[in-house]
Amino acid sequence: MTPALSIAHLRKVYRRATVAVDDISLTVNEGDFFGFLGPNGAGKSTTIHCVTGIANPTSGDIRVFGVDAVKNYREARRLIGLSPQEFNVDTFASPYNIIEWMGGYFGLPAPKRRSRTEMLIEKFGLTEHSRKEFRELSGGLKRRVVLCRALVHDPRLIILDEPTAGVDVELRHDLWRYLQELNAEGKTILLTSHYLEEVERLCRTVAIVARGRIVRQGTKNELVSAAGGLEQAYLGATGRPPDLIEAAQ
Amino acid sequence: MNSSTETLTINWIGLGTIVRREAMRMMRVPIQVFLAPWISALLFIFIFGFVVGGRIAPIAGHRYLEFVLPGILMMNVVNSSFLQSSSQVYFSRFLRFVEETLVAPLSYVEMIAGSLAVVVARTVVTAVGILLMGAAFGATSIHSFVEFLFWIVAISVSFGLLGIIIGLWAKNFEQLNVLTVFFIAPLSMVGGVFNTIGMLPSWLRWLALLNPFFYFSSGLRHAMIGFSESSLGLGIAVTLALSAVLALLVWRLYAVGYGLRE
Repeated sequence: MTPALSIAHLRKVYRRATVAVDDISLTVNEGDFFGFLGPNGAGKSTTIHCVTGIANPTSGDIRVFGVDAVKNYREARRLIGLSPQEFNVDTFASPYNIIEWMGGYFGLPAPKRRSRTEMLIEKFGLTEHSRKEFRELSGGLKRRVVLCRALVHDPRLIILDEPTAGVDVELRHDLWRYLQELNAEGKTILLTSHYLEEVERLCRTVAIVARGRIVRQGTKNELVSAAGGLEQAYLGATGRPPDLIEAAQ
Repeated sequence: MNSSTETLTINWIGLGTIVRREAMRMMRVPIQVFLAPWISALLFIFIFGFVVGGRIAPIAGHRYLEFVLPGILMMNVVNSSFLQSSSQVYFSRFLRFVEETLVAPLSYVEMIAGSLAVVVARTVVTAVGILLMGAAFGATSIHSFVEFLFWIVAISVSFGLLGIIIGLWAKNFEQLNVLTVFFIAPLSMVGGVFNTIGMLPSWLRWLALLNPFFYFSSGLRHAMIGFSESSLGLGIAVTLALSAVLALLVWRLYAVGYGLRE
Protein backbone atom coordinates (compact mmCIF):
# COMPACT_ATOMS: atom_id res chain seq x y z
CA MET A 1 0.00 0.00 0.00
CA THR A 2 1.29 3.50 -0.82
CA PRO A 3 2.25 5.32 2.38
CA ALA A 4 0.34 8.47 3.28
CA LEU A 5 3.64 10.27 3.72
CA SER A 6 7.14 9.17 2.90
CA ILE A 7 10.13 11.38 3.51
CA ALA A 8 13.58 10.29 2.35
CA HIS A 9 16.82 12.03 3.30
CA LEU A 10 15.17 15.39 3.89
CA ARG A 11 17.60 18.18 4.59
CA LYS A 12 16.80 21.82 5.23
CA VAL A 13 19.50 24.41 5.64
CA TYR A 14 18.47 27.98 6.36
CA ARG A 15 20.43 31.05 5.47
CA ARG A 16 23.60 31.50 7.52
CA ALA A 17 24.07 27.73 7.20
CA THR A 18 21.73 26.81 10.06
CA VAL A 19 20.90 23.12 9.60
CA ALA A 20 17.31 22.68 10.81
CA VAL A 21 16.70 19.23 9.36
CA ASP A 22 19.58 16.88 8.69
CA ASP A 23 18.76 13.72 6.73
CA ILE A 24 15.33 12.84 8.09
CA SER A 25 13.63 9.77 6.63
CA LEU A 26 10.29 8.49 7.82
CA THR A 27 7.18 6.73 6.59
CA VAL A 28 3.64 7.31 7.78
CA ASN A 29 1.32 4.54 6.69
CA GLU A 30 -2.20 5.25 5.53
CA GLY A 31 -4.62 5.25 8.46
CA ASP A 32 -1.86 5.65 11.06
CA PHE A 33 -1.90 8.06 13.97
CA PHE A 34 1.72 9.15 13.97
CA GLY A 35 3.39 11.07 16.79
CA PHE A 36 6.32 13.29 15.91
CA LEU A 37 8.12 14.24 19.09
CA GLY A 38 11.13 16.32 19.90
CA PRO A 39 12.32 19.30 21.91
CA ASN A 40 11.90 22.88 20.70
CA GLY A 41 14.10 23.57 17.69
CA ALA A 42 14.56 19.86 16.91
CA GLY A 43 13.24 20.24 13.36
CA LYS A 44 9.62 19.06 13.70
CA SER A 45 7.95 22.21 12.39
CA THR A 46 10.57 22.66 9.67
CA THR A 47 9.89 19.11 8.45
CA ILE A 48 6.16 19.86 8.39
CA HIS A 49 6.80 23.14 6.58
CA CYS A 50 8.79 21.32 3.91
CA VAL A 51 5.96 18.81 3.44
CA THR A 52 3.27 21.48 3.17
CA GLY A 53 5.08 24.10 1.05
CA ILE A 54 5.78 26.72 3.70
CA ALA A 55 9.51 25.96 3.41
CA ASN A 56 11.67 24.93 0.47
CA PRO A 57 13.50 21.68 1.20
CA THR A 58 17.23 21.91 0.50
CA SER A 59 17.35 18.28 -0.63
CA GLY A 60 15.52 15.00 -0.23
CA ASP A 61 12.31 13.45 -1.43
CA ILE A 62 8.79 14.01 -0.04
CA ARG A 63 5.79 12.02 -1.27
CA VAL A 64 2.18 12.36 -0.16
CA PHE A 65 0.20 9.25 -1.11
CA GLY A 66 2.89 8.68 -3.72
CA VAL A 67 2.66 12.21 -5.15
CA ASP A 68 5.89 14.20 -5.26
CA ALA A 69 5.28 17.17 -2.95
CA VAL A 70 7.77 19.37 -4.82
CA LYS A 71 7.29 18.49 -8.48
CA ASN A 72 3.52 17.96 -8.28
CA TYR A 73 2.92 20.26 -5.37
CA ARG A 74 -0.63 21.22 -6.30
CA GLU A 75 -1.82 17.65 -6.39
CA ALA A 76 0.03 16.84 -3.14
CA ARG A 77 -1.42 19.87 -1.32
CA ARG A 78 -4.99 18.78 -2.07
CA LEU A 79 -4.38 15.73 0.11
CA ILE A 80 -3.07 17.58 3.19
CA GLY A 81 -4.74 19.66 5.88
CA LEU A 82 -2.39 21.62 8.13
CA SER A 83 -3.04 23.08 11.54
CA PRO A 84 0.15 25.04 12.24
CA GLN A 85 1.70 25.85 15.56
CA GLU A 86 1.45 29.64 14.99
CA PHE A 87 -1.79 31.45 14.19
CA ASN A 88 -1.12 32.36 10.57
CA VAL A 89 -4.43 34.07 9.83
CA ASP A 90 -5.81 37.44 8.85
CA THR A 91 -6.59 38.51 12.42
CA PHE A 92 -9.23 41.02 11.30
CA ALA A 93 -11.25 38.36 9.46
CA SER A 94 -14.03 36.34 11.06
CA PRO A 95 -13.70 32.61 11.80
CA TYR A 96 -16.42 31.94 9.22
CA ASN A 97 -14.48 33.74 6.50
CA ILE A 98 -11.15 32.21 7.48
CA ILE A 99 -12.55 28.69 7.19
CA GLU A 100 -14.70 29.37 4.13
CA TRP A 101 -11.84 31.08 2.25
CA MET A 102 -9.64 28.06 2.86
CA GLY A 103 -12.34 25.88 1.30
CA GLY A 104 -12.24 28.24 -1.65
CA TYR A 105 -8.45 28.02 -2.06
CA PHE A 106 -8.86 24.25 -2.23
CA GLY A 107 -11.44 24.66 -5.00
CA LEU A 108 -14.55 23.53 -3.12
CA PRO A 109 -17.72 24.72 -4.86
CA ALA A 110 -19.72 27.31 -2.88
CA PRO A 111 -22.52 25.03 -1.56
CA LYS A 112 -20.04 22.39 -0.36
CA ARG A 113 -17.62 24.81 1.28
CA ARG A 114 -20.45 26.64 3.04
CA SER A 115 -21.96 23.42 4.38
CA ARG A 116 -18.51 22.12 5.47
CA THR A 117 -17.75 25.48 7.13
CA GLU A 118 -21.06 25.51 8.99
CA MET A 119 -20.71 21.87 10.03
CA LEU A 120 -17.20 22.43 11.43
CA ILE A 121 -18.19 25.66 13.17
CA GLU A 122 -21.00 23.84 14.92
CA LYS A 123 -18.90 20.77 15.71
CA PHE A 124 -16.14 22.87 17.30
CA GLY A 125 -18.53 25.08 19.28
CA LEU A 126 -17.74 28.23 17.34
CA THR A 127 -21.28 29.17 16.31
CA GLU A 128 -21.64 32.20 18.58
CA HIS A 129 -18.13 33.41 17.67
CA SER A 130 -18.24 32.80 13.94
CA ARG A 131 -18.78 36.45 12.94
CA LYS A 132 -16.40 38.05 15.46
CA GLU A 133 -12.93 39.13 14.44
CA PHE A 134 -10.30 36.42 14.99
CA ARG A 135 -8.20 38.74 17.18
CA GLU A 136 -11.12 39.06 19.63
CA LEU A 137 -11.15 35.32 20.38
CA SER A 138 -9.47 33.54 23.28
CA GLY A 139 -6.46 31.29 22.65
CA GLY A 140 -8.57 28.14 22.79
CA LEU A 141 -11.13 29.48 20.32
CA LYS A 142 -8.37 30.58 17.96
CA ARG A 143 -6.94 27.06 18.09
CA ARG A 144 -10.35 25.64 17.14
CA VAL A 145 -10.56 27.99 14.15
CA VAL A 146 -7.24 26.86 12.70
CA LEU A 147 -8.25 23.24 13.24
CA CYS A 148 -11.52 23.81 11.35
CA ARG A 149 -9.52 25.51 8.60
CA ALA A 150 -7.28 22.44 8.32
CA LEU A 151 -10.29 20.14 7.95
CA VAL A 152 -12.56 22.15 5.66
CA HIS A 153 -11.48 20.41 2.45
CA ASP A 154 -11.72 16.96 4.03
CA PRO A 155 -8.02 16.04 3.59
CA ARG A 156 -6.73 12.46 3.66
CA LEU A 157 -3.61 13.42 5.63
CA ILE A 158 -4.06 15.75 8.59
CA ILE A 159 -0.94 17.39 10.01
CA LEU A 160 -1.35 18.94 13.45
CA ASP A 161 1.57 20.93 14.80
CA GLU A 162 1.01 21.18 18.56
CA PRO A 163 -2.77 21.47 18.21
CA THR A 164 -3.48 21.46 21.94
CA ALA A 165 -0.86 24.02 22.98
CA GLY A 166 -2.55 26.62 25.16
CA VAL A 167 -6.02 25.07 25.15
CA ASP A 168 -8.02 24.15 28.22
CA VAL A 169 -8.51 20.59 29.44
CA GLU A 170 -12.09 20.40 28.20
CA LEU A 171 -11.21 21.34 24.62
CA ARG A 172 -8.20 19.07 24.73
CA HIS A 173 -10.42 16.12 25.54
CA ASP A 174 -13.00 17.17 22.90
CA LEU A 175 -10.24 17.45 20.38
CA TRP A 176 -8.75 14.07 21.25
CA ARG A 177 -12.17 12.49 20.82
CA TYR A 178 -12.66 14.19 17.45
CA LEU A 179 -9.21 13.21 16.21
CA GLN A 180 -9.84 9.61 17.21
CA GLU A 181 -13.11 9.72 15.28
CA LEU A 182 -11.34 11.08 12.21
CA ASN A 183 -8.65 8.44 12.49
CA ALA A 184 -11.30 5.72 12.87
CA GLU A 185 -12.88 7.03 9.64
CA GLY A 186 -9.59 6.32 7.90
CA LYS A 187 -7.83 9.68 8.01
CA THR A 188 -4.11 9.58 8.52
CA ILE A 189 -2.92 11.94 11.26
CA LEU A 190 0.56 13.25 11.96
CA LEU A 191 0.74 14.98 15.32
CA THR A 192 3.49 16.92 17.01
CA SER A 193 3.13 17.58 20.69
CA HIS A 194 5.06 18.28 23.84
CA TYR A 195 2.48 16.40 25.88
CA LEU A 196 3.67 12.80 26.12
CA GLU A 197 0.34 11.83 27.67
CA GLU A 198 -1.38 13.04 24.52
CA VAL A 199 0.93 11.06 22.27
CA GLU A 200 0.57 7.99 24.46
CA ARG A 201 -3.20 8.23 24.35
CA LEU A 202 -3.60 8.91 20.61
CA CYS A 203 -0.68 7.65 18.56
CA ARG A 204 0.16 4.19 17.25
CA THR A 205 3.57 5.05 15.84
CA VAL A 206 6.10 7.49 17.25
CA ALA A 207 9.26 9.10 15.91
CA ILE A 208 11.52 11.18 18.13
CA VAL A 209 13.59 13.88 16.49
CA ALA A 210 16.53 15.77 17.98
CA ARG A 211 19.00 18.18 16.36
CA GLY A 212 17.40 17.66 12.97
CA ARG A 213 17.62 13.85 12.95
CA ILE A 214 15.31 10.98 13.84
CA VAL A 215 16.85 9.47 16.96
CA ARG A 216 14.24 6.86 17.77
CA GLN A 217 11.28 5.40 15.94
CA GLY A 218 8.86 2.58 16.62
CA THR A 219 5.38 1.68 17.65
CA LYS A 220 4.00 3.43 20.68
CA ASN A 221 3.72 0.08 22.47
CA GLU A 222 7.42 -0.60 21.96
CA LEU A 223 8.38 2.76 23.45
CA VAL A 224 5.84 2.67 26.26
CA SER A 225 6.74 -0.86 27.30
CA ALA A 226 10.45 -0.01 27.55
CA ALA A 227 11.78 0.61 31.06
CA GLY A 228 10.67 4.04 32.23
CA GLY A 229 8.00 4.29 29.55
CA LEU A 230 7.68 6.89 26.83
CA GLU A 231 9.06 9.70 28.95
CA GLN A 232 12.34 7.94 29.59
CA ALA A 233 12.56 6.82 25.99
CA TYR A 234 12.06 10.44 24.96
CA LEU A 235 14.60 11.88 27.39
CA GLY A 236 17.14 9.21 26.56
CA ALA A 237 16.71 9.66 22.83
CA THR A 238 16.94 13.43 22.92
CA GLY A 239 20.15 13.32 24.97
CA ARG A 240 18.78 14.86 28.15
CA PRO A 241 20.95 14.83 31.32
CA PRO A 242 20.96 11.54 33.27
CA ASP A 243 19.40 13.17 36.35
CA LEU A 244 16.28 14.05 34.31
CA ILE A 245 16.11 10.50 33.02
CA GLU A 246 16.49 9.18 36.55
CA ALA A 247 13.71 11.46 37.70
CA ALA A 248 11.49 10.08 34.95
CA GLN A 249 12.19 6.58 36.20
CA MET B 1 11.77 25.75 -5.31
CA ASN B 2 8.47 24.12 -6.11
CA SER B 3 7.84 23.26 -9.71
CA SER B 4 4.67 21.74 -11.05
CA THR B 5 5.01 19.27 -13.90
CA GLU B 6 1.33 18.40 -13.74
CA THR B 7 -1.18 19.83 -16.16
CA LEU B 8 -3.94 20.95 -13.87
CA THR B 9 -6.71 23.20 -15.01
CA ILE B 10 -6.97 26.66 -13.55
CA ASN B 11 -8.28 26.68 -9.97
CA TRP B 12 -10.97 29.27 -10.74
CA ILE B 13 -12.62 28.90 -7.34
CA GLY B 14 -9.26 29.44 -5.62
CA LEU B 15 -8.51 32.43 -7.82
CA GLY B 16 -11.96 33.87 -7.14
CA THR B 17 -11.46 33.36 -3.41
CA ILE B 18 -8.22 35.36 -3.45
CA VAL B 19 -10.07 38.17 -5.24
CA ARG B 20 -13.00 37.98 -2.81
CA ARG B 21 -10.71 37.99 0.22
CA GLU B 22 -8.66 40.95 -0.98
CA ALA B 23 -11.75 42.91 -1.99
CA MET B 24 -13.18 42.39 1.50
CA ARG B 25 -9.90 43.41 3.09
CA MET B 26 -9.78 46.50 0.88
CA MET B 27 -13.31 47.51 1.86
CA ARG B 28 -12.30 47.52 5.54
CA VAL B 29 -10.47 50.80 4.88
CA PRO B 30 -12.63 52.70 2.34
CA ILE B 31 -11.41 56.12 3.48
CA GLN B 32 -7.80 55.20 2.84
CA VAL B 33 -8.55 53.33 -0.37
CA PHE B 34 -10.99 55.64 -2.15
CA LEU B 35 -11.73 58.83 -0.25
CA ALA B 36 -8.07 59.85 0.24
CA PRO B 37 -7.15 59.72 -3.49
CA TRP B 38 -10.41 61.39 -4.48
CA ILE B 39 -9.86 64.29 -2.04
CA SER B 40 -6.26 64.61 -3.18
CA ALA B 41 -7.34 64.62 -6.84
CA LEU B 42 -10.07 67.17 -6.12
CA LEU B 43 -7.54 69.52 -4.53
CA PHE B 44 -5.17 69.13 -7.49
CA ILE B 45 -8.00 69.74 -9.95
CA PHE B 46 -9.23 72.78 -8.05
CA ILE B 47 -5.89 74.44 -7.27
CA PHE B 48 -3.74 73.53 -10.27
CA GLY B 49 -6.43 73.08 -12.83
CA PHE B 50 -9.03 75.63 -11.89
CA VAL B 51 -7.38 78.40 -9.82
CA VAL B 52 -3.83 78.45 -11.27
CA GLY B 53 -4.80 76.94 -14.63
CA GLY B 54 -7.29 79.72 -15.26
CA ARG B 55 -4.30 82.05 -15.70
CA ILE B 56 -2.37 79.75 -18.04
CA ALA B 57 -2.76 79.96 -21.81
CA PRO B 58 -4.39 76.97 -23.57
CA ILE B 59 -2.03 74.18 -24.58
CA ALA B 60 -2.59 72.83 -28.12
CA GLY B 61 -6.06 74.31 -27.99
CA HIS B 62 -6.99 72.72 -24.66
CA ARG B 63 -7.70 74.46 -21.37
CA TYR B 64 -4.97 73.81 -18.77
CA LEU B 65 -7.48 71.93 -16.60
CA GLU B 66 -8.20 69.55 -19.50
CA PHE B 67 -4.45 69.18 -20.09
CA VAL B 68 -3.59 68.45 -16.47
CA LEU B 69 -6.50 66.10 -15.63
CA PRO B 70 -5.01 63.00 -17.37
CA GLY B 71 -1.75 63.55 -15.44
CA ILE B 72 -3.58 63.81 -12.12
CA LEU B 73 -5.49 60.68 -13.02
CA MET B 74 -2.25 58.88 -13.91
CA MET B 75 -0.61 59.81 -10.58
CA ASN B 76 -3.57 58.45 -8.65
CA VAL B 77 -3.73 55.25 -10.71
CA VAL B 78 -0.02 54.71 -10.07
CA ASN B 79 -0.35 55.35 -6.31
CA SER B 80 -3.51 53.28 -5.87
CA SER B 81 -2.17 50.26 -7.71
CA PHE B 82 1.22 50.37 -5.99
CA LEU B 83 -0.25 50.83 -2.51
CA GLN B 84 -2.86 48.11 -3.03
CA SER B 85 -0.47 45.36 -4.06
CA SER B 86 2.47 46.30 -1.82
CA SER B 87 0.33 46.48 1.33
CA GLN B 88 -1.60 43.36 0.33
CA VAL B 89 1.55 41.27 -0.06
CA TYR B 90 3.39 42.83 2.88
CA PHE B 91 0.51 42.37 5.35
CA SER B 92 -0.07 38.80 4.24
CA ARG B 93 3.59 38.14 5.06
CA PHE B 94 3.57 40.20 8.25
CA LEU B 95 0.50 38.37 9.64
CA ARG B 96 1.66 35.15 7.93
CA PHE B 97 -1.70 34.39 6.32
CA VAL B 98 0.16 34.12 3.03
CA GLU B 99 0.80 30.57 4.28
CA GLU B 100 -2.89 29.81 3.69
CA THR B 101 -2.31 30.13 -0.03
CA LEU B 102 1.10 28.45 0.07
CA VAL B 103 -0.38 25.24 1.50
CA ALA B 104 -3.29 25.29 -0.97
CA PRO B 105 -3.33 23.87 -4.52
CA LEU B 106 -2.85 27.28 -6.11
CA SER B 107 -0.34 28.06 -8.83
CA TYR B 108 1.86 31.14 -8.63
CA VAL B 109 0.08 32.60 -11.65
CA GLU B 110 -3.26 32.27 -9.83
CA MET B 111 -1.86 33.97 -6.73
CA ILE B 112 -0.41 36.82 -8.78
CA ALA B 113 -3.50 37.18 -11.00
CA GLY B 114 -5.76 37.28 -7.92
CA SER B 115 -3.75 40.15 -6.45
CA LEU B 116 -3.67 42.06 -9.74
CA ALA B 117 -7.42 41.68 -10.33
CA VAL B 118 -8.10 43.57 -7.09
CA VAL B 119 -5.47 46.17 -8.01
CA VAL B 120 -7.21 46.84 -11.33
CA ALA B 121 -10.65 46.95 -9.67
CA ARG B 122 -9.41 49.50 -7.13
CA THR B 123 -7.82 51.75 -9.74
CA VAL B 124 -10.84 51.61 -12.04
CA VAL B 125 -13.12 52.76 -9.20
CA THR B 126 -10.60 55.46 -8.25
CA ALA B 127 -10.35 56.57 -11.89
CA VAL B 128 -14.12 56.75 -12.35
CA GLY B 129 -14.39 58.97 -9.27
CA ILE B 130 -11.71 61.33 -10.60
CA LEU B 131 -13.37 61.45 -14.02
CA LEU B 132 -16.64 62.44 -12.35
CA MET B 133 -14.83 65.23 -10.47
CA GLY B 134 -13.29 66.38 -13.72
CA ALA B 135 -16.74 66.34 -15.30
CA ALA B 136 -18.01 68.59 -12.51
CA PHE B 137 -15.40 71.14 -13.67
CA GLY B 138 -16.30 70.54 -17.31
CA ALA B 139 -12.87 69.03 -18.03
CA THR B 140 -13.55 65.33 -18.64
CA SER B 141 -13.53 64.03 -22.17
CA ILE B 142 -12.67 60.66 -23.70
CA HIS B 143 -11.05 60.79 -27.11
CA SER B 144 -10.65 57.00 -27.37
CA PHE B 145 -12.29 54.70 -24.84
CA VAL B 146 -10.18 51.68 -25.92
CA GLU B 147 -6.96 53.63 -25.44
CA PHE B 148 -8.21 54.94 -22.10
CA LEU B 149 -8.99 51.45 -20.87
CA PHE B 150 -5.62 50.18 -22.10
CA TRP B 151 -3.70 52.85 -20.19
CA ILE B 152 -5.67 52.44 -16.96
CA VAL B 153 -5.23 48.66 -16.99
CA ALA B 154 -1.61 48.71 -18.21
CA ILE B 155 -0.50 51.29 -15.63
CA SER B 156 -2.38 49.40 -12.87
CA VAL B 157 -0.78 46.11 -13.81
CA SER B 158 2.73 47.58 -14.05
CA PHE B 159 2.57 49.29 -10.68
CA GLY B 160 0.63 46.42 -9.15
CA LEU B 161 3.54 44.15 -10.11
CA LEU B 162 6.06 46.65 -8.81
CA GLY B 163 4.08 46.80 -5.55
CA ILE B 164 4.22 43.01 -5.24
CA ILE B 165 8.01 43.09 -5.58
CA ILE B 166 8.31 45.74 -2.88
CA GLY B 167 5.78 43.88 -0.71
CA LEU B 168 7.94 40.75 -0.98
CA TRP B 169 11.17 42.64 -0.33
CA ALA B 170 10.16 44.96 2.53
CA LYS B 171 11.22 43.92 6.01
CA ASN B 172 9.36 46.74 7.76
CA PHE B 173 6.73 49.42 7.15
CA GLU B 174 9.29 52.08 6.33
CA GLN B 175 10.73 50.08 3.44
CA LEU B 176 7.24 49.91 1.91
CA ASN B 177 7.45 53.66 1.28
CA VAL B 178 10.94 53.73 -0.18
CA LEU B 179 9.83 53.40 -3.79
CA THR B 180 7.06 55.98 -3.44
CA VAL B 181 9.36 58.58 -1.89
CA PHE B 182 12.44 58.09 -4.06
CA PHE B 183 11.01 56.89 -7.35
CA ILE B 184 7.28 57.21 -7.95
CA ALA B 185 6.70 60.72 -6.60
CA PRO B 186 9.74 62.43 -8.23
CA LEU B 187 9.41 60.67 -11.59
CA SER B 188 5.68 61.31 -11.84
CA MET B 189 6.22 65.00 -11.05
CA VAL B 190 8.80 65.39 -13.82
CA GLY B 191 6.95 63.07 -16.21
CA GLY B 192 4.81 65.69 -17.90
CA VAL B 193 1.91 65.71 -15.44
CA PHE B 194 1.71 69.48 -15.07
CA ASN B 195 3.67 70.65 -18.11
CA THR B 196 4.62 69.76 -21.66
CA ILE B 197 8.22 68.71 -22.18
CA GLY B 198 8.45 71.74 -24.45
CA MET B 199 8.23 73.86 -21.27
CA LEU B 200 11.33 72.15 -19.83
CA PRO B 201 14.84 73.55 -20.44
CA SER B 202 16.23 71.94 -23.61
CA TRP B 203 19.05 70.18 -21.68
CA LEU B 204 16.42 68.40 -19.51
CA ARG B 205 14.12 67.16 -22.26
CA TRP B 206 16.07 63.98 -22.97
CA LEU B 207 15.58 62.99 -19.33
CA ALA B 208 11.82 63.16 -19.76
CA LEU B 209 12.06 60.83 -22.74
CA LEU B 210 13.78 58.24 -20.52
CA ASN B 211 11.08 58.55 -17.88
CA PRO B 212 8.34 55.89 -18.23
CA PHE B 213 5.89 58.20 -16.45
CA PHE B 214 6.15 60.57 -19.41
CA TYR B 215 4.76 57.84 -21.70
CA PHE B 216 1.98 57.00 -19.24
CA SER B 217 0.75 60.58 -18.86
CA SER B 218 1.22 61.28 -22.55
CA GLY B 219 -0.69 58.13 -23.55
CA LEU B 220 -3.50 58.80 -21.12
CA ARG B 221 -3.66 62.40 -22.33
CA HIS B 222 -4.02 61.22 -25.90
CA ALA B 223 -6.80 58.83 -24.85
CA MET B 224 -8.64 61.67 -23.13
CA ILE B 225 -8.05 64.84 -25.17
CA GLY B 226 -6.30 63.55 -28.30
CA PHE B 227 -3.05 65.42 -27.57
CA SER B 228 0.25 63.62 -27.09
CA GLU B 229 3.89 64.64 -27.01
CA SER B 230 5.23 61.15 -27.59
CA SER B 231 4.78 58.43 -30.16
CA LEU B 232 1.74 56.39 -29.14
CA GLY B 233 3.32 53.18 -30.47
CA LEU B 234 6.53 53.77 -28.52
CA GLY B 235 4.55 54.49 -25.34
CA ILE B 236 2.53 51.29 -25.70
CA ALA B 237 5.69 49.29 -26.45
CA VAL B 238 7.51 50.72 -23.40
CA THR B 239 4.53 50.01 -21.14
CA LEU B 240 3.98 46.46 -22.41
CA ALA B 241 7.70 45.70 -22.16
CA LEU B 242 7.80 47.04 -18.60
CA SER B 243 4.75 44.94 -17.63
CA ALA B 244 6.22 41.81 -19.22
CA VAL B 245 9.59 42.20 -17.46
CA LEU B 246 7.92 42.87 -14.11
CA ALA B 247 5.50 39.95 -14.58
CA LEU B 248 8.37 37.55 -15.30
CA LEU B 249 10.30 38.84 -12.32
CA VAL B 250 7.30 38.47 -9.99
CA TRP B 251 6.58 34.96 -11.28
CA ARG B 252 10.20 34.01 -10.67
CA LEU B 253 10.14 35.44 -7.14
CA TYR B 254 7.01 33.41 -6.35
CA ALA B 255 8.54 30.29 -7.87
CA VAL B 256 11.66 30.50 -5.70
CA GLY B 257 9.57 31.60 -2.71
CA TYR B 258 11.42 34.91 -2.22
CA GLY B 259 9.93 36.60 0.84
CA LEU B 260 7.25 33.92 0.98
CA ARG B 261 8.71 30.59 1.97
CA GLU B 262 11.37 29.79 4.55
